[in-house]
Amino acid sequence: MKTQSAINTYLKETGGWVASQLEACTRCGICAEACHFYQALGNPEYAPIWKLEPLRRAYEQRFTIAGKLKLALGLEKKLTDADLEHWSKIVYEACTVCNKCAHVCPMGIELGPLIHEVRAGMAAAGVVPGDLAEATEKQRTVGSPLGVTDEMWRERIDWISDEWEVDIPVDKAGAESLMVFTSIELMKFPDNLAAIAKILNQAGENWTVSSTGREVVNFGYFEADEELTKLFMYRVFKAAEDLGVKKIIISECGHAYDAFRWTAHNIMKVPAGVKIVHITEYIHELWKTGRIKLKEGAFDAEIITFHDSCKIQRRGGIIRQPREILKLLAPTRFKEMTPNKEQSMCCGGGGGVISIKEADANRYAVFEMKLEQMQDIQAQAVCMVCSNCRLQFVDSLAHFNSTIKVHGLAEMVAKALV
Amino acid sequence: MNWTEILTFSRGPLLHVALMIFIVGMSYRLVRVLLLGWERDRVPNKGSKIWGVILNYLKGLVVLPFIPWVRRTFRNNALTFIAGGLFHLSLFLVLAFGTAHILVWKSLCGISWKSLPTPVVAFFSATGIISLIVLLINRLTHPVLKMLTKLPVWINWVMVFLPMVTGFIMARHLWFRYEVIFSLHLISVSLLLIWIPLGRISHFLFYFFSKTIHGAQAGKRAIMP
Repeated sequence: MKTQSAINTYLKETGGWVASQLEACTRCGICAEACHFYQALGNPEYAPIWKLEPLRRAYEQRFTIAGKLKLALGLEKKLTDADLEHWSKIVYEACTVCNKCAHVCPMGIELGPLIHEVRAGMAAAGVVPGDLAEATEKQRTVGSPLGVTDEMWRERIDWISDEWEVDIPVDKAGAESLMVFTSIELMKFPDNLAAIAKILNQAGENWTVSSTGREVVNFGYFEADEELTKLFMYRVFKAAEDLGVKKIIISECGHAYDAFRWTAHNIMKVPAGVKIVHITEYIHELWKTGRIKLKEGAFDAEIITFHDSCKIQRRGGIIRQPREILKLLAPTRFKEMTPNKEQSMCCGGGGGVISIKEADANRYAVFEMKLEQMQDIQAQAVCMVCSNCRLQFVDSLAHFNSTIKVHGLAEMVAKALV
Repeated sequence: MNWTEILTFSRGPLLHVALMIFIVGMSYRLVRVLLLGWERDRVPNKGSKIWGVILNYLKGLVVLPFIPWVRRTFRNNALTFIAGGLFHLSLFLVLAFGTAHILVWKSLCGISWKSLPTPVVAFFSATGIISLIVLLINRLTHPVLKMLTKLPVWINWVMVFLPMVTGFIMARHLWFRYEVIFSLHLISVSLLLIWIPLGRISHFLFYFFSKTIHGAQAGKRAIMP
């Protein structure tokens, strides 16, 4: 029964876009070396193409002569519940959907989005790791995967406002921009939230946060449950419509940016005339247009590097902007890790991995490679524009007893405002 | 049936039937995929999709084959890249510029062109065969490839290896009588043509889909594919 739900989802999702790419694979195995989980742990089953097995089997057995033949000759079996349980661990606990593999595939197969489709089948079958499912359920019922209720949210916003002495407009009618934060920032990195508020205020932005569209993180998107993905985005779009804003600014969260900017228009109605931007590109715009001024060399005291987040840089294209800002803030001390930009290695905690306790060993193993990349350039600090990455960095650096400091870009910009 | 008759059969009806199966089979594969439907992409672009596609093809066809070490994955897959690259290059050169193959193209399409010197073709056909053997050894030993390789992939290898090796023997006039080795070459080519629509050798067609999709996705997001 479970399996049938998954198969139905796979068949529903399999249009020419999916099929043509599944057909293009030559089984060369090169994608394995691009996967940080395979590199770190050496498990052949972590090869990205192997993660597509449930989708491939469902597709071939239904739509291709070769697939039907293999089934008839007993060369391949139908998917079973046990298969789903097996691959669920692989696609949720050893994949951040970072899509690095697509950049090394000689055929250019978009493995990341295809693995997302595999997850969609798992979500339909209810074969999702317990921790992830629990957080998703909290977001559905309470409004936040961390369980932040409306009252807690309001108290926390007031507290940040008082503590950092910054004005945070709530539900302001007539605002131009709706700023949507993550619960991670609200609860774990309030400095980042305060920093963004400070930057927007300094720029004279007519902005607001919303008490109804208050969570930008999308655990439905991590699970790849399309209905929940839409529901969580709908809350924000509804708030944007009610407030009549012209712009939604996505906070420092990679998956949220991917969902709102690159997915929403294809799966649901996005309010007309509402632009979706990431806070990093917006800060860059504010700086370039002279609406904020930054102190040159404000962070030039220590070697600082930039971590490219999979969804904001490789999948989002915001590669140049944070670098331009960092080169202003740390003109002589900014150093690139290798590899970087589109080819960078993911932090290991994205795609919901960090929320799954059982995947801790996996993400620490991946992070060890990231740590080596930072140590290779003697980095004393690292900056990033994704709270999920930041959570992984803070937790993993502590795990490895490293003294490298972690900054959100907004937090650095706020400190450098003149 | 003697070898002369076998040759007549294999260069006539067998090859023609195989060619028909190949064309019909591949057309079916293509139409099947096209008919599964293509949803319109309504997401606003950040960069140019077309430019991304052009860049991706340039990178894949002009840049990376000649300086593969710029890929970071090259280091850990050197064997696959070099042997795979040489195999494809050899296959293309021998098929397109071998004297005997040019005659086949002429009979099929009516046009012909200048062939490469025989020693060059011989060198590349040997290179192609050696590359294929290296790829087989790699497939037998690499943990990921061992796991990914099921019966159809082994059949792919045999189906490609046989025409190459029989072609090489025939062109070098080794060991066999002409009509024997020519028949074996044609039979193996026919088997390959019949097999292609069933297996993953058909990637040469779907390459254009995945490569275009990847380029468009990168272009849309304003990143380097």
